[in-house]
Amino acid sequence: MNRKITKLLALILTLSLVACLFAGCSKKSAAEEIKIGVLVADVSGEEALAFRSYYENYIAKNYSNVTFVYTEQLTDAAAEKSAIEKFAAQGCQAVISFSSSDRAIQLDTCIKNKLYYAVGSGMLDDAQFETYKTSEYFVGQIGPSMDTEYEAGYAMGKYFADKGVKSVAIYGAFIPNPMHVYRAAGVLAGLGMTYGGASEKDAIVGQIFGDQGIDTSKVGTSGVQLTGYFQGFGDTTFDELFGILGQNPEAFLSVGMATTFFTDALNGANIEFSDIDSFTSANGKAMSEGKLVYLAGKYSSSIGPIFAAIMNAVNGHPVRDAEGNALSISQNYLVATDADSFAKYSTADQGDTPIFNKELLDTVIGDSISYDSFVSLVTADRS
Amino acid sequence: MKKQQSIGTKLIGTLAIPAIFAAVLFGLSAANGKQLFATSISVNYFVLYAAIVMITTMALSINLNSGRFDFSLGAMAVLSSVLSAKLSYSLLGGGSGSAIVMLLLCVVIGAALGLLSGLLYAALRIPPIITSLGVTLIYEGVTFTVTEGKYINTEVRNASMTAFSGTWIWPALIIVVVLALVWFLFDYTKFGYDYKALQHGQKVSVNTGIREVPNALVCYAICGALMGIVGFLSAVRSSTINGGSLNFGSIGIMFTAFLPMFIGGYIGRFSNDKLGYLIAALCMSLLNTTFAAFSNEISASMQSIINALLLVVFLIYLSNEGLLKTLFHRKKSA
Amino acid sequence: MAQTKLTKKNRLRELLVTLLPIAALLILFGVLCMVVSSRGYRLDMYLRIIFNEGVVLAVVATGAIFIYSLGSFDISLGASTLFSATIGVLVYNSTQSLPLMILTIFGVAVGCSLLSSVLASVFHIPVFVTTVAMMSVLSAVAAQIITTKGGALGGIGIPAAVVEPLDNLPFKLAVLAVFAVLCVFVFNFTKIGRRLKFLGSNPVCAKLSGIKVNVYAIIAFVMAGLGVGLGAFLTLVYTPSVTPTTAGSIGMNILVAIVFGGMPISGGSRSRIYAAIVGGFSYILLNNILKIVIDSGAGYGISQIVSAVFFLAVVYVTSMNYRTKLLPR
Repeated sequence: MNRKITKLLALILTLSLVACLFAGCSKKSAAEEIKIGVLVADVSGEEALAFRSYYENYIAKNYSNVTFVYTEQLTDAAAEKSAIEKFAAQGCQAVISFSSSDRAIQLDTCIKNKLYYAVGSGMLDDAQFETYKTSEYFVGQIGPSMDTEYEAGYAMGKYFADKGVKSVAIYGAFIPNPMHVYRAAGVLAGLGMTYGGASEKDAIVGQIFGDQGIDTSKVGTSGVQLTGYFQGFGDTTFDELFGILGQNPEAFLSVGMATTFFTDALNGANIEFSDIDSFTSANGKAMSEGKLVYLAGKYSSSIGPIFAAIMNAVNGHPVRDAEGNALSISQNYLVATDADSFAKYSTADQGDTPIFNKELLDTVIGDSISYDSFVSLVTADRS
Repeated sequence: MKKQQSIGTKLIGTLAIPAIFAAVLFGLSAANGKQLFATSISVNYFVLYAAIVMITTMALSINLNSGRFDFSLGAMAVLSSVLSAKLSYSLLGGGSGSAIVMLLLCVVIGAALGLLSGLLYAALRIPPIITSLGVTLIYEGVTFTVTEGKYINTEVRNASMTAFSGTWIWPALIIVVVLALVWFLFDYTKFGYDYKALQHGQKVSVNTGIREVPNALVCYAICGALMGIVGFLSAVRSSTINGGSLNFGSIGIMFTAFLPMFIGGYIGRFSNDKLGYLIAALCMSLLNTTFAAFSNEISASMQSIINALLLVVFLIYLSNEGLLKTLFHRKKSA
Repeated sequence: MAQTKLTKKNRLRELLVTLLPIAALLILFGVLCMVVSSRGYRLDMYLRIIFNEGVVLAVVATGAIFIYSLGSFDISLGASTLFSATIGVLVYNSTQSLPLMILTIFGVAVGCSLLSSVLASVFHIPVFVTTVAMMSVLSAVAAQIITTKGGALGGIGIPAAVVEPLDNLPFKLAVLAVFAVLCVFVFNFTKIGRRLKFLGSNPVCAKLSGIKVNVYAIIAFVMAGLGVGLGAFLTLVYTPSVTPTTAGSIGMNILVAIVFGGMPISGGSRSRIYAAIVGGFSYILLNNILKIVIDSGAGYGISQIVSAVFFLAVVYVTSMNYRTKLLPR
């Protein structure tokens, strides 16, 4: 019996290795192909999947010489560096990064391997941008800057303050994730609150980083009351949520992920809520049938312009500003406050008819594209 | 010969730990002006979490007490809940009865997954810890493939599931049923007697004719079924299932069961270990509720550290109980 | 005559089983070379990448063999690596001294290991539970430090130029070789190794013959600490920054690597230092082959399933010499 199992296993092992070999032989490299490596830290979020679908199912179909090579889920700087080196070994010419464990190491590795590099979503730290902005391999960054994140939070807080709510609860998502820290600081300021006596962006942000969250005892207000705050997702999350909902806040403001985790609970508790997420069908349902009243989000083709910038660099016509610096354009969120505005954004950016379609992208792909034309493309009102 | 314990000793031994937990945690909360059970929802979630901890602890201890370490408990819970959620949704579309159908499917699929894991262990005859590593990776991989790594939301968000989480009665009923069944199975059946015999003397038991493999397979199937229930309760609690855990991302759930397992084992000396697991689970749920009340003061990192320290301190006491008693008596007689 | 034939056959089988992990490594290496070449990828770069991916795992796992030989296992080694690297970065940033950073990394790593061993051997806590507690504490403290100090960058680091000269194949190969030779020497040619294996094979008999269990448990943990220190240093050499997720997968991968390398989880006389290196690189090679071959989003789950089946198959074959009639525990 044992010998039979052993023989069977040996056969399986041999066959699997042979299968690997055949599979390995099945693909040939093409010299004219433009291969772009994409670094991803999230492989399962709605937004991440929508981005991937836009590149693989729209861009790759419409630009037939372009292939995207995706990484698996990258969890740390070593995985990012290793992935870039693999892109180089696979003959990629450029890298678009949606992963941010260590952007400086990503850039250094790309420069060392002569790969063009662009930040697909988000932006470099100011000091990092200063260091790399003149590197010929740094194509640029188009996405929400930390200032934009703060503004998105501020606008959300102000929306509820203007609406006249008297009490709110806040969910800080995954603070100390920098993006969530800036959004949370914006929310406090937008609601007219101070933090540790400060009302300026940098002072609030610095304190939240130091506290690793929002310390409710440091929140000062003369108007809207903060009835509760919590962050993270673990064993105590729902106890915290229901403890806070027990205080009957008029609104629940989230700086991310609430629509994934708490839609049911908040609808059940009949409390209006807001989030910074993306225009998914589940969020559309929460807005039309539930209590979601404010959503700031990105649309899937918002990553189109950075692809165009990469194409120009690979084709030998990189777009730089007057001083020869890499692209750096902040991209705003779109805001929906009712089912109609939500539907407008989500239907305008469908799979085969994205907002940044081929015609639009072709206007900035070429040998004499100016920095300003990129700025116009990105900052134009697409609503 | 073991000395017979008096009823007083039994009562004190059984209730001392929960009494200490309650006194310290309620005392701390009162001193800081915090209310642990401000609303009826807090009570519901307290019982729900106690059910999750108790059942996970039972599942962990069944195999661990027999020297079989199983890393795949978390992966079984997630996979059974994902498959059950998808199946029940395709059958009922989220309509009435969805929750109970999902619960039943979780039990059946969990048992099947557990049995499969046991069969692999019995067939390959490699140490269970190694089999469980492979099984964990396989079940995580299947979960990821089925869900494409996404959260399962639509399938577990319906009125039926909301009704389940809206009362403490359902989780309490599950606690009672599971406790009664496990108690009966392990303390009053031939399977249970064989299990204990194999636990304390594997070779002798096999030589006396106890069939080890079927006993182990039933243990694995029971563990799977229990973890299926845990998967269901977790889905009720979070109204979502994370389908994107790979590379041992699912094993964390097992670590939460260590402290209650040791506390339960200690209480079991004075009454019954299953009752001990329930009492320990109630203690852990109370601790969790306290953490939630102090969430602004105690960060998630600090909670991890406190849990780890409690585990270490309790084990230091447990492992050196005899020595401590001797020292205490010596001091007293001096 | 028949008995001699049987013994010869058994010996041959034992030899084959002993050589199987090495054969698996070589076959996987060959398959990788073929897959990479046939796709037109650069083999030299791929080999360097795979070495970089595997060297930290191999080094930490080599040190861990000493603990595993006792029949114990430690899942806190990934967290120890993160914690040591974190403290090392803090020390460099406040002193600008590379030697001091290296010393600190080793000191912290060995200190963490000693704490685990003291808790386990002096207070008689089960080793595995001790390491679960250590894992929680170390990763929580490291995360707290990193996120507080890292601010908007989300991580902390040292200037890349400090360690860049060391980020090359010869240096890392030399580090791996020196540590492996040291471990082989201690494990195979001193009484420490012999006694550790004795304790792993038959703890009761070993204790009765006068071997001090606590002393040897502490030595085993110190050796594992050295491996962790070296792993933390090599992690910083490759990427001079740490985030809360750095070295996150090492803890469990060590377990897989050691078993993949042909060492029984029960430790004892069949423990081999080379198992960590062979198993570590085999596992990395296998995962890379699968990632190249199964190249799609849905493929992450499938490649993990294939990898697990392959792992179980190799372990099944390599364990056939010590299979018992009773179910193993």
